[in-house]
Amino acid sequence: MTFEDWFRTDRLPHIYCAGCGNGTIINCTLSAVDQMGWKKDDTVFVSGIGCSSRAPGYIVTDSLHTTHGRALAFATGVKLANPVLNVVVFTGDGDLAAIGGNHFIHACRRNIDLTVVCMNNQIYGMTGGQGSPTTPWGCLSTTTPYGCAEPAFDLCELAIAAGANYVARWTSYHVKELEKAVKAGLETPGFSFIEAMTQCPTNFGRRNKFKQVADQVEYIKTHALLRAKRDRMIEQGEKVPDDFFVIGELMRRKRPAMGVKV
Amino acid sequence: MKLAIDETRCKGCNLCIKVCPYKIFKEGKRPNRRGIVVPELDRPERCANCRLQHLYGRRLCGVCELTCPDQAIHWIEEQPYEPMKVAIEY
Repeated sequence: MTFEDWFRTDRLPHIYCAGCGNGTIINCTLSAVDQMGWKKDDTVFVSGIGCSSRAPGYIVTDSLHTTHGRALAFATGVKLANPVLNVVVFTGDGDLAAIGGNHFIHACRRNIDLTVVCMNNQIYGMTGGQGSPTTPWGCLSTTTPYGCAEPAFDLCELAIAAGANYVARWTSYHVKELEKAVKAGLETPGFSFIEAMTQCPTNFGRRNKFKQVADQVEYIKTHALLRAKRDRMIEQGEKVPDDFFVIGELMRRKRPAMGVKV
Repeated sequence: MKLAIDETRCKGCNLCIKVCPYKIFKEGKRPNRRGIVVPELDRPERCANCRLQHLYGRRLCGVCELTCPDQAIHWIEEQPYEPMKVAIEY
């Protein structure tokens, strides 16, 4: 079996723009789910509103397309009502960090047995390119036409501080590593959070000097800093540049989890 | 096994050209019926997964298939006695 079996092939091709990284993240997630050997009847995909949240519509299992930002609240209900089910949440940065931020920190605090895959494209893609809490400093969007003047949200640090059991960040360029991280997250009892940085060529790249899709992928690739290298740089007293983001497995621990089947 | 690009799904983002370690994909020349410039295959017999997947019994590279955001790249089995090219690497 491959991840192709998990797609509703009659719904493809999907509506994402050409070069959108969300399709890559769906491939990696489904590949990891496929390696777990779960049955399609026992797997539920939950999502909120946004580009990323259209993903469960293309997956053959049961899915919930819920209200904006409340994907984690619905997923908590699904998991606690029937702990046998394996629940995977697809969400975007605007969905998770902006309107669903409160649900996010409390899901981390309760440590519910969910796997959350956050496709962070650093902008509100579906509604026309408004700035989101994760838009980097100085980047252009329709609501920040002179450059974003606010520091961006680091979702992985937030999840670690709030108490998630497994936290990792990869990009849409590092597909194999992302697949392994999602698989590790699915195997971990308790809340596992995987942030995937993706490109958004239509609304982010077009306004930020990435004319081609490959340009933004190249930027993501060159500005990703492995966690071990970041630690080494701090040890040697070097300054970590501001526009770099840390990738890798950032946290793995065993806090008591909620909703784990016995 | 051989590589195949599904022209009904491809949107012409050319990400496969960027990620393939063997540089098998190259930019297409003319748009197809839907107006999309689908990438072409440049000597696809060099693909490691095409040659060795059956021998090793597992997916070897598969980066293009995982990266393709439109799920357009996949491998298909050859017909019996289909003529095929063989890559010779020195």
